[in-house]
This record gives sequence, C-alpha cells and structure tokens, in this order.
Amino acid sequence: MAVDQLSSTFAALADPTRRAILARLASGECSVTELAEPFDMSMPAVSKHLRVLERAGLIARGREAQWRPCRIEAGPLKHVADWTERYRHLWEARFDRLEHYLQGMKAKEKTHGRKQRGK
Amino acid sequence: MAVSSVANSDTFKVTTPSDREITLTRLFDAPRRLVFEALTRPEHVKRWWGILDDQYSVPVCEMDLRVGGKWRIVGRGPHGEGPEFYGEYLEIVPPERLVNTEIFAPFPDAGSVVTVVLTEEDGKTRLTVTAAYPSREVRDMVLQTGMETGAALSYDRLEEVARELR
Repeated sequence: MAVDQLSSTFAALADPTRRAILARLASGECSVTELAEPFDMSMPAVSKHLRVLERAGLIARGREAQWRPCRIEAGPLKHVADWTERYRHLWEARFDRLEHYLQGMKAKEKTHGRKQRGK
Repeated sequence: MAVSSVANSDTFKVTTPSDREITLTRLFDAPRRLVFEALTRPEHVKRWWGILDDQYSVPVCEMDLRVGGKWRIVGRGPHGEGPEFYGEYLEIVPPERLVNTEIFAPFPDAGSVVTVVLTEEDGKTRLTVTAAYPSREVRDMVLQTGMETGAALSYDRLEEVARELR
C-alpha cells in the first residue's frame, strides 16, 4: 500500500465523529439521516464527514436507492489495523534487535578493549 | 505478548501514564553507556532501528547530537520507503537522559516530545521511552486508531470482508 493512501486513511480516521460513524456502519448499512441522528450536527456537516470517508475509501455509498445508503469498506481499515499491529510489533522487535545488537557491542569491547571516543 | 527467544523480551511493556502519553519500557543486558551509544550514534542506530529482518534497512539516519540539533530517520521495508521520522534534540545528558521532539512525517501537526531515561537495575539497563503528544486525541489516534475501529468491526468480519475484496 502506498504511503499516501495510508496517510489519507489515517487523516480520515483522525476525527472522533468519523470514527463513530464508522463504528455505527460496522453494524450495517444506514442512511445519512440515520447517521446524523446521534450527533448534534447539521446534515451538511455529516455529509462533509461522509465525503472525507468516501474519498479515503473507507465507505461506499449506494447509487441505486434515492436515500443512498452508506456502508463500510474494510479494505483500507485492514491496512490500518495491519499498520497499527506492525507498529506495536515494530517496537517490540526493535527493542529485541537493540538487545541483540548490544550483545555484539559488548563482545566487541571485550575483544578490542574500549576504544576512546574521538572529539 | 509474542514469545521471543531474545533476552529480556518479556520485560517489554507499553503503558499510558497520563492522558497525553505513551510509555515503552524494557530491560537490556548491557551497561547504560553502551545503550546510550546504541541510541544516539547513526552507525549503531542503522543496525537495529526498524530492522525486523533482512528485508528492512535504514537508508537515512542523520543525528546532529547537540541541543537544538536535528535528527531524521527513514526506514525501508519490503513495501518500499517509509516510515520517516524527524525532530530536534532538546536535552542531552549522557548516559542517562535524552529529550527530543519527534514528528512522524505524514502528521507534521501531531508531533510528540520524547523523553528517554536510562536507569541501572541489577547490572542491567532499563530503557524508558515516554512520548508526550499535544492532546489526548492525538495520543489516542496513535495508540488506538486501528485497534478502536478494528474492535468496532470485529477482526473476524474485517478478515472476511477483506478476503472478499481481494
């Protein structure tokens, strides 16, 4: 996945209202009116959030029906979940790697004696 | 936690000491001085930072280690370039303390202040890295974005739909 795509997904997710909209859509399709209901927000404001989510590929909107139901698209979310998982693993793996590397540094010092640091 | 054969791996912990912070900690079987060097000298950092296996490398690692000096790291993995991090050193007290700003390139407005503390513990060194974000929202985004949405969706469903999309 291109870095830009991940960035636009994250940017879209970086808003609590949009995350709440996604959580709502996770339990099934619904209309813009239904989505607006739990938020103290005008329809145009909700529509704006939906456009951001749609551009990021996180939701799709039906064209068939007049009420254009929204539904969640799992593809980009899967990438985000993978990324977050990787992030946690990354730190654990990074520290493991550091430990391993330090053992190498220690062994080297033992063999060659501590080198004086220049400057 | 993943089972790992690497020494002290089970001492790795992630906690949230306050609304705006994430803390990572781990013990290392090496003197503090060596750990500090491994964290602050590019020739060392390039050998361990983000190197998950031999598909990973660190093509860019610049560290101007003085107060006000800049640093920048770009990793490279099987999927190409990235992630890119950069920042500035605020406090340098070898071998016990290092404070710097850290910005994850895609989110320049959501930078953090990272405090690295090294303490000696029974002949080992405890590394504690605390990242403080500008707000709880940003911290939670870093920590939870994927997990939160993932939990709402349930991973099973996600997996199922993702498979359909393939």
